[in-house]
Amino acid sequence: MTLDDGTVRADAVARPELADGGSAVEPRTARSVGGSRRRAPFGFVPLATLAVVFLALPVIGLVVRAPWREIPADLTDPGVLTALRLSVVCSVSAVALSCVIGVPLAWVLARVSFRGRTLVRALVVLPMVLPPVVGGVALLLAFGRNGLAGQWLDRAFGISLPFSTAGAIVAETFVAMPFLVITVEAGLRSLGQRYEDAASTLGAGRWTIFRRVTLPLITPALGAGAALCWARALGEFGATITFAGNLPGSTQTMPLAVYVALQNNVGGAMALSLVMLVVSLAVLVALRGYWFGGR
Amino acid sequence: MSLQAIVGLPMGSLALDVELSAGDGEVIGVLGPNAAGKSTLLRALAGLSPLRRGRVVLDGDVLEDTATGVLEPAERRRVGFMFQDSRLFPHLSVLDNVAFGPRARGLSRGEARRRAEEWLRRLGWTAPTSVRPRTLSGGQAQRVALARALATEPRLLLLDEPLAALDAGARAELRRELRRHLSSFAGTCLVVTHDPLEAMVLAERLVVLEEGRVTQAGRPEEVRAHPRSRYVADLVGLNLYRGRAAHGTITLANGSTLVAADGVAGPDEVFALIHPRAVALHRERPEGSPRNVWPGTADGLEVSGDRVRVRISGPVPLVAEVTPAAVGALRLDDGGPVWASVKATEVVVYPA
Repeated sequence: MTLDDGTVRADAVARPELADGGSAVEPRTARSVGGSRRRAPFGFVPLATLAVVFLALPVIGLVVRAPWREIPADLTDPGVLTALRLSVVCSVSAVALSCVIGVPLAWVLARVSFRGRTLVRALVVLPMVLPPVVGGVALLLAFGRNGLAGQWLDRAFGISLPFSTAGAIVAETFVAMPFLVITVEAGLRSLGQRYEDAASTLGAGRWTIFRRVTLPLITPALGAGAALCWARALGEFGATITFAGNLPGSTQTMPLAVYVALQNNVGGAMALSLVMLVVSLAVLVALRGYWFGGR
Repeated sequence: MSLQAIVGLPMGSLALDVELSAGDGEVIGVLGPNAAGKSTLLRALAGLSPLRRGRVVLDGDVLEDTATGVLEPAERRRVGFMFQDSRLFPHLSVLDNVAFGPRARGLSRGEARRRAEEWLRRLGWTAPTSVRPRTLSGGQAQRVALARALATEPRLLLLDEPLAALDAGARAELRRELRRHLSSFAGTCLVVTHDPLEAMVLAERLVVLEEGRVTQAGRPEEVRAHPRSRYVADLVGLNLYRGRAAHGTITLANGSTLVAADGVAGPDEVFALIHPRAVALHRERPEGSPRNVWPGTADGLEVSGDRVRVRISGPVPLVAEVTPAAVGALRLDDGGPVWASVKATEVVVYPA
C-alpha cells in the first residue's frame, strides 16, 4: 500500500519537473542561436577575408593556369604514368602496413593502461611534428645499410631498404601512420567498453569480440584514419627522397616527380599537381560526414 | 546452494564488501541507493571486474578465488547479463544480437539463428527480427536484451536495473514479462533495482546494499515491516529512528526521547518505527493522552494518493500523512510551527 503510494508520488513529482526542464531548455537554445550573431571585433572580418583569399588563391591559380588542353597528353606520358602507378602502390601499401601494426597499437593505447603509455603516445605523434627530412635521416640511421636494424636486416636476410620501393613504403608509413593510430584510438575511446563487456558476458573470447564487435563499430574511425593516412602517404616528399631517393620507377613517387618535372616539364608538373588536388578534395569530401558532421 | 560469493573490491573511495548466497531458481533483489555498489557487485560476479579479495562459486565450480588464484574469464562463466541500457550491438540485427551468444559458444550460424528465433518467440516477439536495434523502442530493446541473455542458457542471470530506462507503460509490461520468465528460470537470478515495487514484485529475497555493505537482507515483507536503515525506511515511506532503549524510553543521538508501549527493558540499541498515519498534527500543544509530543515546522508537502505527506523538521524529524482537509484546517502550507503527537502504542521497537 505504502509502496504503491510511494511510487505514484515519485512519478507525480518527476513529471512536472521534466516538463519544466523541457520548457526551460528552449529559450536557452534560442539565446545561443542569437549569440552566434554577435558582431566581430573591429578588423576581424577583413583579416578573415584575407586568410580565405590566401588559402584559396593557390588552388585557384592551379586550376586557372593549368594547361587543360595538354593534360590528357601529359597524364599519359610514360614517366608520369610510372610515377602515378608507383604512388598508388606505395601509398596503398603504407596504409595496409599502418593498419596491420597501427590498429593493434591504437587498441593497446586505448584499452590497456601501462607504465610509459604517455611516452608511447608522444612517440606516435612525433612523426607528425618532426620535419619529414629529419624523419628520412632518422630512418637511414635505423634502417640504412649501416643503421641499427638495417645492418642486421642486411646480414640476416639480405634485405636493404634504402633506395628501394620497400624503402619508399617504409618512409611513407613512418610519416603517415600517426594519423591512423590517433584517429582509431579516439574512435576506440569514444566507443568505450560497453559493447565489449556485453559480448564477453555472452561468451565471446578476445578475438571474437574484436572481430565481431569492436572492428565493425570502429569502422567509421578506421575509414577516416585510413583516408587521412593515405592522403598523407600520397603527398609524402621529404622522408621519401631522403631515405629512398628519387629513382624513376622504383622510388620516384608523384610529389617527387612533380618536383623534378617543374624543372623541365612544367605542364607535366601541373597535371600531376591537379591529380593530387583532386585526390585531396576527394578525401575531404569523403571525410566531411566524419569530420564536419553536424557542424 | 547454487551461488556462494564473497566479493571484496575497491570502488572509488569506498570498498565493496559483500557476502552472498543463493539457491537454484531463487530470485534475489539487490536494492540500494545510487553508488552503493550494486552494479559493481554484478560486474564482479560476471567476471567483468576482478576481485581484490573473495571467491565466487557457482554450482560447485569455483569461478574466482583470490586465495588460490583461480580466475575464470567472463566469457567462460555461463553468466547472463542484462544491462540497464540494453547494449544491443548496433551493427547487428535483432536476430543476430540474440544469436551472438550461442554463436560465440560454438554453434553454427544456422543453429545459432534457430536458437535465437526460438528465444524471441518465447519472449513474445512478433515484430520483424531483421531490423537494427536503433529502430526499437526502449521496451522492445530490453526484451531483445533479455532474450539475448537467456539464449546463452546461463546458470546465473544478472539484471542491472532492467526497467530503469523505460517509461511507465513499457515498465509495467516488461515487469510482468520478467516475472513470468524469472519464475520459470532454473538458475539463480540477481535483479538490481532502486524501485521498491520492482524489488517486491520480482524478488523472493532482498539484499539491501549501502556504501558497499549489506545493511539488510531478508524476505520482502520482512524488510518492509522492519527496515534497518534510513534508506529502506524512506523507500517504504516510514519514519525510522535509532537510539538507546531503557525503561520504555528511547533516547536518540540528539538527546530527544521517544516513549514506546511495548516493554523495552534495555539498555539496548534499538530501531523505533512510526507509520506516518500514526502521526497526528496540531496547531496548539495537544492536551491529554499522547505520550510523544514534539514541536516542529511543516516544511514540505507532497500529495500521495488521497493523502498529503507533511515533512516536519524539529528535534524529531517526521513525515506525517494527513487528509487534504487537515492541511487547510491546520494551515500547514504556510510553513508555520506545528505540534506532532504519536501514541506510545504506535511506536514499533525492534533490536538494532
